[in-house]
Amino acid sequence: MAGDVKTARSTAGGQARQRTRRNWFWRMVWRSVTRRRSRVLIAIGAVAIGATTLFALATIATDIPRQMAREMRAYGANLLVMPARGEEYVPAQAKAAVDAVAGGAELIGAAPYRYQTLRLNAGPYLAAGTDLEAARTVSPYWYVDGQWPAAPGEILLGQDIVDWVGLEIGDQVELVAAAPTAPPAADQPDRPEGPQTPDQGGTGQDSGAGGHAGHSAAAATGEEADKPTDPDSPDDPEGAEGLEGEADDELVEDRSGTFTLTGVLSTGGSEDSTIMMSLADLEQLAGISGQLDVIEYSIAAEGKAIEALAEKITAEVPSVAAAPVKRLTQSDTYVLEMLRSLLGLIAVIVLALTMIGVSTTMIAVVAERRTEIALRKALGASSRSVEREFLSEGLVLGALGGLVGVALGFAIAQLVSLNVFHRGVGFNWWLAAVTVAASTVVAWVACLLPVRRAAEIDPALVLREE
Amino acid sequence: MFWRMVVKALARGRSKRLMIAATTALGASVATAMLSVVFDVGDKVNQELKTYGANIEVRARGAAVLTELYDIEDAPVASVGLAEADLPKIKTIFWAFNILDFAPFLSTPAVFNPDGLPVVDAAPGASQTGDSSAGGQAGTAGPEVTVVGTWFSHHLDLPTGEHAVAGIVNLRSWWELDGGWIADQDQDLALIGSDLAEDLGLELGDAFGLDGRNAAVELRVAGIINGSGEEANQVVVPLAIAQRLAGRPGEVDSVEVSALTTPDNDLARKAARNPDSLSISEWETWYCTAYVSSIAYQIEEVLPDAVAKPVRQVSESEGAILSKTRLLMLLVTVLSLIASALAIANLVTASVIERAPQIGLLKAVGASDASVVRLILAELSLVGLFGGALGYGAGLGLAQVIGHSVFGSAVTARPIVALLVAFLVVLVVLGGSLPSIRMLLRLRPADVLHGR
Repeated sequence: MAGDVKTARSTAGGQARQRTRRNWFWRMVWRSVTRRRSRVLIAIGAVAIGATTLFALATIATDIPRQMAREMRAYGANLLVMPARGEEYVPAQAKAAVDAVAGGAELIGAAPYRYQTLRLNAGPYLAAGTDLEAARTVSPYWYVDGQWPAAPGEILLGQDIVDWVGLEIGDQVELVAAAPTAPPAADQPDRPEGPQTPDQGGTGQDSGAGGHAGHSAAAATGEEADKPTDPDSPDDPEGAEGLEGEADDELVEDRSGTFTLTGVLSTGGSEDSTIMMSLADLEQLAGISGQLDVIEYSIAAEGKAIEALAEKITAEVPSVAAAPVKRLTQSDTYVLEMLRSLLGLIAVIVLALTMIGVSTTMIAVVAERRTEIALRKALGASSRSVEREFLSEGLVLGALGGLVGVALGFAIAQLVSLNVFHRGVGFNWWLAAVTVAASTVVAWVACLLPVRRAAEIDPALVLREE
Repeated sequence: MFWRMVVKALARGRSKRLMIAATTALGASVATAMLSVVFDVGDKVNQELKTYGANIEVRARGAAVLTELYDIEDAPVASVGLAEADLPKIKTIFWAFNILDFAPFLSTPAVFNPDGLPVVDAAPGASQTGDSSAGGQAGTAGPEVTVVGTWFSHHLDLPTGEHAVAGIVNLRSWWELDGGWIADQDQDLALIGSDLAEDLGLELGDAFGLDGRNAAVELRVAGIINGSGEEANQVVVPLAIAQRLAGRPGEVDSVEVSALTTPDNDLARKAARNPDSLSISEWETWYCTAYVSSIAYQIEEVLPDAVAKPVRQVSESEGAILSKTRLLMLLVTVLSLIASALAIANLVTASVIERAPQIGLLKAVGASDASVVRLILAELSLVGLFGGALGYGAGLGLAQVIGHSVFGSAVTARPIVALLVAFLVVLVVLGGSLPSIRMLLRLRPADVLHGR
């Protein structure tokens, strides 16, 4: 029996006996684990439940906010790259440099924009030239009734324009661009311009609609007028005078082109009164190139990170200034903080309760082995050796339960993440180690009290009980 | 006899019973807390999402830039706007309680005058007509700026007799102000966007003048708005001042509305495209659900000549985030319920197995299987009920802790949560004990008594 037999450690025989004692020790632990299988399973089960809850909730609480931050990109661009103070435009080649700084796993999309006033049926409208594919990625809330333009010469028109002018999908429209060499402000005092027009991203609309509006201030260099005064009137005095004014000062012709309307864009914001076309088309029509008004970036990161990135871009790329869209970055941070505290608080509460439940179960399981402990003591085992054996069992059970818990917990966290976000969740090794360690400690502590109490009782008393 | 046995059994094995009660209480409190929170979390998260701004935009039908384009000096300018007096009606629609906030806007140009005095020829309409800054009079006129008039925290007396507060103080939660907000009654204070302040060389407390097309005012800078949005290049003033500058008393250009909405589904999308295409019952369902399109429709019903559109950037995105958050909370709740159920069941199983000698003895003495089952179940049920009731109370408290620390508001205590928790506890106690009791009953009493 692996009792406490005094051995002489120095002799070879003594060493062999020590080895045998250790063998016996572990063999007894193993045997007691395998013999009372149902009890052991219950104990491991309890620890595993605790460990599963711990690992699953902790993984969810740490990973989900990151996933939610990505979901929040549905709100559109949260970083704008504008011309540096004093400059009028962002040079198109700067985009590559900015992409290099901003690029990475978190970059969802980057859309360059150039604004220009064009005339449609003699009424002036704001046209935006952009990379339509990129714009679609950056602004997923755009709703297009019809088709997105796929070929050169195809455009989208805002809902308000279509309603006002009375167009249908498939119509051909003629767009006229003022000649690029005629600066509008100085030469045509009567031209329908005015950065103050209420519809030019009237604050109500724009502040509410963010995105384009947020930077149309940059485009408000006197080139804007959103809605026509009277599209049906062929004698639009403004248009006519404007044309004449141009004709008087410089003999330059307006450039015009015919485009096909493939879809109607509606967003409830300033895009509803905008002509949306590809950058190449706009540049060709207006005779401009290489100059952008703004580049919109959608980056899946939180407030502080975006601010830092904006500062980095401003510092490193010449002739641009980057700024976060405060409305989105601050709100994102606010909502994510709320989500974090919600999940964190829930995790703490559920964990605390589950762990206590685990402990009580372990205590119950160990407490009922009092008879066994008493028997061992009656046969001569010291309290300490009995304690040590039982606590070792507790450790083993705790570790096993912890491992099972990590596996199950990861499966559950994965299930939740796939169902909600359609993306997997990463395996956090550190968290796994903490979970196994915690389960071991909890199991060990839970064994401590009953074992100690049982080991101190007079064996005769225990053995006499039923 | 039966009950005497139950009571004696309960009294004697007190510590063990206490542990079962404690674990049941813990499990029940987790279940109660999670269930209470999950029923309310949708609404609370929806409220938090309002921080992104308005999700409905209202403008006058046919609003256009008529005023600025066709400005004639002497003739009164016909303008198309909404009536300020009509705005309280927004809070009288079917979904009035979902309208959390709104603010009107009126935009008008004005000439900036750094000296605070009106420009040289002091006739009220002395401003340029649609001219840009570079041209115009000889050097005395300053640059033209955009002036936006709005409500800050405007007190409304509703037709129903209630009061409400509306304005941009809550709608523009992301504005960072140097200085402070202004009140709607202030006659001479203004907020300036940071870029404009820099361009004009204005700082907090500076006085300046604005020359509108109808009147001139003297203002003082009460706050500077930091940011890169629209507001960076605007002067924001109380609505009355902008109306005076523009000569449009009682008018507004647009209204932003922030409403609590239900995420869109197919019915909502169909209705948004064309409400007339719905059948009668579909229309009623749509009208009586707080979709953003139905709230916009109801606003159009009460405001004459208004067009209300959902701001898709906000309404679509918040719908997506809300659905995902709800689903996430649901899954986490299910997970915690399973965990607590298993924890309780585990302990119940353990305690039943522990009573193997007692069961063996009872059988050896001649008790029928059914009576043994009944006895043990009775004990466990009483303990479980006691623990469950304790746990329910504690769980409600925990739910309030979560509600207050995360959302700052209370979580409503719903009776259905109590029903669900009771059901859960009963199910778990039964499920945990019956299989093991049955297993033990199948063994021979002699084996059980000997502890094999």
